[in-house]
Formats: sequence, structure tokens, C-alpha cells
Amino acid sequence: MSSLISRLALIPFFFIINLAQAADQRTTDILAEIDDLWRGKSSYTLATLNVKTKHYTRSMTMESWSKGKEKSLTRILTPLREKGTITLKSGNHIYTYLPKTDRTIRLSSGMMMGSWMGSHLTNDDLVKESRLEEDFDASISFEGLRDGGDIIEFTLIPKADAAIVWGKITIEVEATSHLPIKEVFFDEDMNISRTFTFSGLKMMAGKIRPSIMRIVPIDEPDEFTEFVFDEMTLDIELDDNFFAKSALKRL
Amino acid sequence: MNILSLSLRNTGRNLQRTLVTTLSMAFACFIMIVFSSLMEGMLQGSERQVVEMNMGDIQIHTKGYLDDPDIYAMITDTDTIIDALERQSLNAAPRLYAYGLLAANMASAGVQLRGIRLRHEKNVTKLYQHVEKGEWLTQNSKKSVVIGKKLASTLGVSLGDELIFVGQSSDGFMANEIYMVQGILKSVSDGIDRSGVFMLEESFRELMALPTGFHEIVVSRQDRNADLDALTSQLQNRIPQYEVKNWRQLMPVISKMLEGADAQMIVMLIITYVAVASIILNAMLMTVFERMHEFGIMKAVGVSPWQIVRLIYAETLVQTIFASIVALIFGWWASSYLQLHGLDMSSFMSGSISFGDIAFDPIWYSYITPESLMTPIIFLVLIAMVAVIYPASKAAWIKPIDAIYYR
Amino acid sequence: MKLNTLAFRNIFRRKRRTLITASSIAFGVMLSVTFTGSGDYTYTNMIDMGAKMGMGHVTVQPMGYQDKPTLDKRLHHSYDNLDAILAQEGVTSATPRIMGQAMFASSHKSVGGAFIAIDPNLETTENNVILQTLVEGETFQADSKHGVVIGSKLAEKLQLKIGKKMVYTSTDVEGEIISNITRVTGIFTSGISFVDSSMVLLPLKSAQKALSYSPDEVSLIAVMIDDQRKAKAIRDQLQMLPSNQGFDVLSWHDSQPDLGGVIAMEEAGNIIMQLLIGLLIAAGILNTMLMGVLEREREFGMMMAVGMSPSKLFQLVMVECFWLALLGLIMGIIITAPWYYFLYNTGIDMTADLGNGFSYGGVLIDPVFKARLFPESVVAILGSVFTLALAAGAYPAWKAGSTPPIESLKTS
Repeated sequence: MSSLISRLALIPFFFIINLAQAADQRTTDILAEIDDLWRGKSSYTLATLNVKTKHYTRSMTMESWSKGKEKSLTRILTPLREKGTITLKSGNHIYTYLPKTDRTIRLSSGMMMGSWMGSHLTNDDLVKESRLEEDFDASISFEGLRDGGDIIEFTLIPKADAAIVWGKITIEVEATSHLPIKEVFFDEDMNISRTFTFSGLKMMAGKIRPSIMRIVPIDEPDEFTEFVFDEMTLDIELDDNFFAKSALKRL
Repeated sequence: MNILSLSLRNTGRNLQRTLVTTLSMAFACFIMIVFSSLMEGMLQGSERQVVEMNMGDIQIHTKGYLDDPDIYAMITDTDTIIDALERQSLNAAPRLYAYGLLAANMASAGVQLRGIRLRHEKNVTKLYQHVEKGEWLTQNSKKSVVIGKKLASTLGVSLGDELIFVGQSSDGFMANEIYMVQGILKSVSDGIDRSGVFMLEESFRELMALPTGFHEIVVSRQDRNADLDALTSQLQNRIPQYEVKNWRQLMPVISKMLEGADAQMIVMLIITYVAVASIILNAMLMTVFERMHEFGIMKAVGVSPWQIVRLIYAETLVQTIFASIVALIFGWWASSYLQLHGLDMSSFMSGSISFGDIAFDPIWYSYITPESLMTPIIFLVLIAMVAVIYPASKAAWIKPIDAIYYR
Repeated sequence: MKLNTLAFRNIFRRKRRTLITASSIAFGVMLSVTFTGSGDYTYTNMIDMGAKMGMGHVTVQPMGYQDKPTLDKRLHHSYDNLDAILAQEGVTSATPRIMGQAMFASSHKSVGGAFIAIDPNLETTENNVILQTLVEGETFQADSKHGVVIGSKLAEKLQLKIGKKMVYTSTDVEGEIISNITRVTGIFTSGISFVDSSMVLLPLKSAQKALSYSPDEVSLIAVMIDDQRKAKAIRDQLQMLPSNQGFDVLSWHDSQPDLGGVIAMEEAGNIIMQLLIGLLIAAGILNTMLMGVLEREREFGMMMAVGMSPSKLFQLVMVECFWLALLGLIMGIIITAPWYYFLYNTGIDMTADLGNGFSYGGVLIDPVFKARLFPESVVAILGSVFTLALAAGAYPAWKAGSTPPIESLKTS
């Protein structure tokens, strides 16, 4: 699941490091720090996904393995109805194994905008990370007190060539610990589209990190999608074969 | 002088001439009858194609469903509504819709699932007769589907093949199930051909976790001549919480097109009638003018102008009635044949085709209505009567001496 | 006495009758011209419009593309091929295109649709219906990286305006999912619902890059020709070109079978109609000729009595018929010419009834009722009217010579 978090929240972070032109060294450093929060050559996470929409409220637990940025595998543990569903991402392909029908399907471009597991995230969000090399220009837009806390705010503007629909993304981090607090996505007219908030700081894999990430869409403020990390282990031994399509059924 | 007996005798005297005149009038009238019926059949057929195949006469949805088809926007008291409709001699069929992905082998396509209630659907649409390969759904088709023609070819599947459906159920889960292809439809409409997947109501509910409610109720009139607009308003008033629309409102383009075809038809008919009028005119004129000599003699011996006119009209009437009867008999017979068997145009088209939102059947059927039979006949009589005015008046008032030498 | 002259004079003995019959022939000519002409015009229009919508009158495409148009199927060496195709007589344009399905997304929403990647230098309003119906903005340049032209309904759904971003996601040649950013340069309204709500134009070069195509690979080459009736002939010629070996060359009949079907059906209906009218006119002629023969029974009897053979009599009546037909034809041409001229140039404007941008199943129809006749149609009409008239005269002609003189001379 860490790969998922990094994909969603820290897309900008990863690649800001690779920026040709970092606005200044401090930005680069802080963002690198944040980046290190999630970095690991490989990872294993156990997490709970809570989704509330107008029509349903659900909760799922899943375990997830990742290797680098390209490969990840997620398996659902509860509820019983979805137990055994596996999503495999390898490079630019996503496969889903459905235990009920014992079939594997490959996601086509037509499914990319469909919601992932009924949440407020899309399949596209999951795949985006690998395609977002060097997509943003970052700079510090605010430093100081806000909402009772000392924060630094970064503003990321997508580059002209980047395949990003957003107008801009802002990231707020805690001034001293550099732990992420909030991430806001804006459309091209600079209206807020969705907000990610980070909370639940706890010790995981030897460091303090936020364990809860919540996504709220602006047009339905009563709805949310929430990831809660229960466990995380980094830099574990993982074979490439683990992420092969043929391995799906074996699990 | 008994006009009738004289006119009959005159008619019989030169049988050949009478026959020729009468038969050409009959022939013209016959053509018109056949033509009118074919046109009527074309119109009825087109409307019926649209209505009977899938649209129905009237559809009921929740407000706003048509602009934004939300799986949660359901009609809740469906059974009550259907009962009320049936008591009003209207057939109704409820339907469920959902969107998702259908995959087979290595291909996949976005599809629209259609959950139907078999018994009701059969009363309202003719889809069940429109299966090209395999068969329509039955009560046992819990894990089978019937799909559209183009969908089958995009996915590269045929009867008995396996399909996987993946979508999002109403409770947010990933709905997935395997279905078998039980039937492939002929061309119905663009939408259904490309993305239509039909399944039983039960199968749909299980798949999409929707235990109650429907998205659409399709209604059709048992009496095809009932006023559609009046019916639509009436129904809307009875269930104001939902949206009631008839097929003309739902498919304005097709409606326009058929109206356009209607207008075209009338133009064609007018043109045909004009052509026929000229024949009748021709026939009547000749009949009278070449007997000018005869009329001259009659006048010379004292027959009054009015009597001449009456005589000519009587003869005309006899001939036209005879022509009408012949035309009616043959016209009716020919149109009945065409109504049953239709004109086979399949040498021009390969099988059934769908164009835009309507399917075309390659067989052109006639449709006999009282109008299609009587209008040509009335027209015939009218034209004949009018045509004869000029020659009759000429015959009536010509000076006997001129008439005798009339050339 | 020469037969011709006799026949000719006979005709004018009964001026009124001759006039009436000739008029009905003339009328038949006019009707035929109207129906055939408007049909020809409408069909040509529909075919040309269909051709403009993407596939051209003739399409060069990879084998198997017609059944399964996926992005992995490509044509190679396209630019060389273009030159060879353009060299063919009758070809007015040949445009390389890539066509594929994609998801289009803005920050508000995403919808599925399809794109056509074009080279704007080669595309004009003559061969591309989207360019023809641009309402806002303009097309992109050939080397544009991010230009896109979208339909007005799509713009509405995604809440996009000129200059705004849109991301499209599709699968490249290897089946990998790819995305690219575009900015709206132009918006079009074709009037055809599904085109306006799901089709976009992309720059060819940029699409090739995104899809990992090499610069001379495309999905198809759409060929437009000057006369749609030559489609099949030109298809055959193009198929023989060496640059097209290994590719499929299809005429619109095959690439758009539904259109072909509808046109065939309309044509059939038209023909049946004209047949019926033709029969009516023939009946009228038969009537006239027969009456004419019957009333001259005595005269004919006389002629036979003084030595004229039945076959000569037959010829006489046939020649009379011939003159009648000719007269009718000439009258027909006289009255039809101004009418046709009117229809050809102005036409009957049915916009009031049908509205603008009336689309008949995916093809835009011009709501003006016009006529256009092809030379062979003219010949066909005149020829068939003439033949019909002569055929109608056959029975009366036969009748003329068949009654033995003694019988005809008997009548009182």
C-alpha cells in the first residue's frame, strides 16, 4: 500500500527531486526528506480502506507489496465477498484477478476513469505515477502559521507537456517535521477539485509517518475515501516473478 | 327516355371502346390502390420498427434520468403502475440498466446491461423475434445473455462463448460474473447493436445488488390508433413524480424523418394522381368526342341539351363504377398479397441493416386501410366526372349541323 | 405514299387527342427526371458526406482492419504511398489518418470517445466534415504537440473552452496505456449527435509519437475522388498499386455497409415508384392508340381492301406511335428543362420542415431538395420513356392489321 500512497500523494515529491530546475535547494531538500518517508526499494503494507458515498459505506482490508515504482500487487483480505481479488500493476499494465469468476482481466484505456474499488480514486490515479516523470515545477508558496500550526506550503504547477488535468496542486507540510498535512488539487480555473488530508501519526517501519490519508471531493463534502495504514515494512526481499501475471492465480 | 337503359345500351354497343376506356381507368385505379397500400405499409412499418423493436410508444423514467443515467435513480412503485396501465389496455415492460465492461478472450468493450422481465417484454417489444443466431432468453437463462450484432463481432464471440462482465454494483463492490452467449440479435439500432447486453431481471439484480426498483417502464398501445399525445399527457398527469415521454419526444430526429417521409409520400401520391387524372381525362374526352356525330343526330331529332348531358354522365358513371369494381377487386387482392408476403428487397440489401437508430427490414409490406382502398376510387369517379364536363357541354350545346360534321 | 408522312399526318388529324397523349408522355419525363435527379443528388450527397466523415470514398487500410479496427494495425511507408495514390486519375485527395478509441478527461469529468489524427496540411473542408463545421477557434498546425479540436457536446460535458487542457488516454501500438495532454484549439458542431459528443481531431505527428508509431505509419489512408460513382473502379486501380500490396483497399460500399444498404433501399423504392408511373403512362398511351385504331377500323379496312398488307398497316401504326412518342419526348424536354434548371440551382428549401443539420443516421443531409442528373440517367430516362411508348403501341398496331377488311367494312 505504500506504493499506493506514494503514487497518489507523493507523485509530485518523487519527481520534484528529479527537477531540472529546483526552485531552491531548500525546497529540494525538504521534498527529498518527505520522499524518504516512503522510499524503499520494496515494501509490504497492510491497510484498511473506508469509503463513504451517498449510496453506500464500505470497509476493506488489503495487503500490498511493491518493488520500485513499476511493480505492485494488492490483495484484498476482507470483506468475504471480495476476498482474494488481486490488482497487479506491472509497468503500464494493470490486471485484476477476480476470484468469484476465477478470471483475470486487463484494464483497458476505457476503464481508466472508473473508480478503483468503489472509492474516490480512479484506476488512472494508480497508473499515473509511472507516467509522471518530471511533470511539475515546484516552489514554496507560503511559510508560517496557519490553522494553528507552523507550516510550509509548496505549489506545484504542471509543466506544459505533462498529461495532468489539474491546474495546480498545493502541498502543506509541518514546518519542522516536514510531515505532510494536506494536499489540494485545483482545476484549470483554480477551483478546488479534491483534497487529501494526512493524519494519524505513528511509528511505522522505524519512523514517524502519517498513517491515515483521507480524500474528500469538493462537490460531495459528505463523502470520503480513507486509507488507514496498519502495518508497513520496507526494503524486503521481493522477486520479480512475484509480480508476473501468471503468478496471480497461484496466490 | 329512360336514361339508364339508354346509357347501358350505348355502353354495350361499342363494347370494344367501352372496354378499352374502362380497363385503362381500372388499371390506373388499381395502380393507385397498390401504391397507396405500399406507402401506408412503409409508414406503418417505419413507425412500428421504431416503436415495436425497443422504444415502445411511451417511456417512463425518474426525472432527469435521461440526461444523467444514474443507477440509483429508480422507479419504485413499478408493479402498481404496471397494473394500472394494463387495466387501461396498455402493455408495459419494466427494465433495469447499468454500464460496465464486457470482456471475452482478449477483447473488451463498454456495454449497457439491460435487465428485463421476460413475460412483459414479450408483450411490448418484438425483440424476442429478432434473434439472428441462437435464441432469446428463457426463464432458465440465469447465466446467459443475448447481445447485439456488432458487439458480438467486436468481441469475436459466437454462441456458447463465455463473457465476463465487470462493473460497479450499487453497493460499491466490483460486480463481476461470467455469462454465456445464448443469442445474437439482428440489427436493431445503433446503440443496441454496439453495446446491448440483455439478461433476466433476476440475473441483473444479483449482479448489481439492486433488489428492488426499475430504471424504465416501456409502454405500448394495444390500439395502434389511439392518440399518442393525449395518452402521454394523461399518463404524465397520473404519475407526476416521474417523467413520461413518447417516442416522438425521445427521438425527435426519427420522428422528423418519418414526418418528412410522410410529406414525401403525399407528394408522390399527388403526382401519381395527376398522372392518373390525365389518363382518365384522355379516355373520357375521346369517348365523347368521337360520338359527336351521334349526339348531333340526337339533337337533330329533338333531344334536349340537358338530356344529352345527363346521358353522358350516366354512361360515365356506369363506366367508372365498372372500373372501380375491377380496380377494387384486383387492388385488394394484390395489396393483401403484399401485406402478407411483402416486396422482397433483399437482393438490394444484405440482411437487416440498422441506420442511425432504426433497423430496416429488407421486406416491404403493404398495409391496407380503408383510405388506401377508397381514396383512389373516389378520386377516379371525381376526375372522370370533371373530365367529362367539357366534352359533355360541347356535345350538349353544339349545333346539330356542326356535330354531324364534327371531326 | 411514304409511310412516315402518312403516319405523321394521321397524328395531327386528331390534334386534341395527340396533344393529350403527348402531354402525358411529357409529364412522365418530368416526373422521371425529378425522381431520378433528386435521388441522384441525395445519394451523391450522402455518399460524399459519409466519405468526409473519416473513411473517404476509397480507403486503404491494413488487412483485417475492417473487422477489428485496433491500433496495433498499421499501414507502412504511408507518404510514398500517398504520392502513388494521388497520381491516379480521379483522385482528389488522399489523407493519412490514425483512428482510435480513447478516454478524454478534464479536471471535471472523463468520457469515452474516439480520435482521428490528421495532418492539417492535407485536410480541408472538402475532405473532412469536422473541419467543415468548425464554429469556434481553428485547427492546429501540423507540428503542433498539444492541439486538439473537439465537438461542442464534448466541450460541454467536460466543461472545456478554447485554450483549456484535456488529457486523453489510449493504448499504444504495444498495448500499453498511454496519456497525453492537449489544449483545445477549436470546437466544431457537425449536427450529428454522436460526433459532437465523442470525436476529436489530433495532430498526426503528435499522435504518432504518443502511440509509438513511426513517422510513416498510420491507420488508414482516406481517398476522396471527384465522382463517387467511380469508387469501385478506382478501388480496383489502387489495389493494384505496388505500394498497396499487403493492404486492403475498400470502397465506401464495404467500409460503410450501412450507408450502402440504405441507399440501395431508397434506390429500389424509387425504381418501383417510377415503374408504377411508367405503367400508368403506358396505359394512357395504349388507350389512346387503341381508340385511334378502333375508330379507324373502317379506314384500315378500306386500305387493306385496296391492297395494303397487314404488316404495312402494323408499321403505319407503329410509326404513328413513334411520332407520338417523339412529340411527347420533345414536349417533355421543353417543360422539364426550366424545372430541372430550377431544381439544379435553387431547389426546394425544406429547412422549415427538416431543420438544418438534419442527420439521417450519422450522415448530414442537406435540407434543400435538389436534383442532379448524371448523363447516363438522362439517356436512361429518355430511352425508357420512348421504349415504353412504342411498346404500348404494339398491340393497337397489331390490331389494326388483324381485322379482315370485310369485317371492318361491315360496321354501320
